[in-house]
Amino acid sequence: MTVLSRDDWYDIARDVDWTLSYVDKQDAFPEAWTGCGPIPEEAWADWNEPYRVTYREYVRVQREKESGAYAVRDALKRANIFEKLDPGHVNASILHMGATCGIEQMAVTMQSRFCRFAPTPRWRNLGVYGMLDEIRHAQLDLAFSHDMLKHDERFDWCNKAFHTNEWGIIAVKNFFDDWMLNANCIEASIATSLVVEHGFTNIQFVALAADAMAAGDIDFSNLLSSIQTDESRHAQLGFPTLEVLMKHDPKRAQYLFDVSFWRSFRLFQTLTGTSMDYYTPVAERKMSFKEFMMEWIVHHHERTMKDYGLEKPWYWETFLQCLDHGHHAMHIGTWFWRPTLFWKPNAGVSKAERKWLNQKYPDWEDSWGGMWDEIITNVNNGDMPKTYPETLPALCNVTQLPLGSAWDRHHLQMYTSEYKGRMYNFDSHVSKWIFDTEPERYAGHTNVIDRFLMGQIQPMNLGGGLQWMGITPEVMGDDAFAYKWAAEYLPEQRKVA
Amino acid sequence: MALFPIYGVFKGDFVPHLVAVDTDDSMQKVAEQIAVHSVGRRVPHKPSASGYQIQIGESLVPLQWLLSKAIGETGLKPLQWVTVDWARPAGEHL
Repeated sequence: MTVLSRDDWYDIARDVDWTLSYVDKQDAFPEAWTGCGPIPEEAWADWNEPYRVTYREYVRVQREKESGAYAVRDALKRANIFEKLDPGHVNASILHMGATCGIEQMAVTMQSRFCRFAPTPRWRNLGVYGMLDEIRHAQLDLAFSHDMLKHDERFDWCNKAFHTNEWGIIAVKNFFDDWMLNANCIEASIATSLVVEHGFTNIQFVALAADAMAAGDIDFSNLLSSIQTDESRHAQLGFPTLEVLMKHDPKRAQYLFDVSFWRSFRLFQTLTGTSMDYYTPVAERKMSFKEFMMEWIVHHHERTMKDYGLEKPWYWETFLQCLDHGHHAMHIGTWFWRPTLFWKPNAGVSKAERKWLNQKYPDWEDSWGGMWDEIITNVNNGDMPKTYPETLPALCNVTQLPLGSAWDRHHLQMYTSEYKGRMYNFDSHVSKWIFDTEPERYAGHTNVIDRFLMGQIQPMNLGGGLQWMGITPEVMGDDAFAYKWAAEYLPEQRKVA
Repeated sequence: MALFPIYGVFKGDFVPHLVAVDTDDSMQKVAEQIAVHSVGRRVPHKPSASGYQIQIGESLVPLQWLLSKAIGETGLKPLQWVTVDWARPAGEHL
């Protein structure tokens, strides 16, 4: 019997569908899950896969990838390279594992929604592979982190983080609960496939993989690269959806893009910006976070969006300004509130590192240098209590990140809205716009301050807060280098003494 | 007498803080409770300054006022920003 080649049968297979007779179409594909809105049913006939793959091909390729990733893992387990790694870099990988493994698992649910509720069988078919991809990513994170447990128990947070109330994880969960788990297929496709996966995962996975390789962490680099091969493939699922949306509901396409771009950017500033510009050893840094953003987001991603007819987000100038400051704000903030972290942040402000920061960000010294000098003085004077917080930072009611963390001290400004008698605070006029456009969507999202004031955190002090976040003494964040970097700022005579 | 949560920010710092103050506190005490989270931690002391000034919205508020009076006069709401700065010589604008 002759076996048909893929192209002989693919077009029939991808359109296999059911003509519903026992239930109404609206019951089988509720608007709340499909999100089709005014898009006519026949419009989905134009939805064409950006790539073709059969189950047999998928399994073969994925099997090869898995073999490759696990072969490197096994070889490196015997090489004992972990002990030689820079502590700053190790903590970048702990942060990555804790902050992203839960997202991968949430993405399984999102892709399974595509499998069931996407408005065309072509999309539902590819959703199966996306779902299998995401299962693989979560399992890879867990397997590699499990190997690391014997070196550092903070890797346990790969599994644990999303089951805690740690404030940074709450911010991550808030975005992905909103746009991945609680969103319909159209919203999730634009926000997640198009913006997060096509745009921002390049930053986290490509840039961090290069930095990890340079830092000698072949294992972590191998993991990131293996995952990115899947991400770059299934991220393309957003494009045909965008094409259909641009034809029939372009305003909505632009709105979804604008909202998810800002919220993704703020999260990746926190996750990737700090890792690239502070945790990676300075000698091994390939590009600054801003340089990478300019190349991959400003030039590449935005050019691609333009090809599909999308405008730059209305707040583009704000985004560019924020690119100079936001991740530095998040860095000094996370370092200062380090007891609330499950990783050890590297201060990254030794004289050599500071020189690099000033080269890459000419305003850095004016915006941040003085604050770090105050911290350094306190460290060198042994006045450690002054290097710790005594209360919580004010938080945004949309991004859940600290107010002020989008810019620097020169741009600190109040952005508020009142809704149903309550005041809401925002980290920027962009987040305020997001809230004001759909207040009912966000008004019930409680940030850590809200929960604190509602009495959920007891006792109502920092100790109670840490306990509520699940931070235990074994993992509580502290300076990655035990403050040794501050010694070079001591006056010469004190160094000798 | 009641606890009243505000977001306190010290001029020159990059982040406001949650500060639980009491409606019976003087604005001087409110200013000190805000400053303690910034001054000497990320904002350097200013020995030449004669003290603090405190602002709600666009208005400077007398330090001798009680917070309860400031709430009544300015309409301050829970979690609204209260800004503290070094006191400036009379006649100097903010």
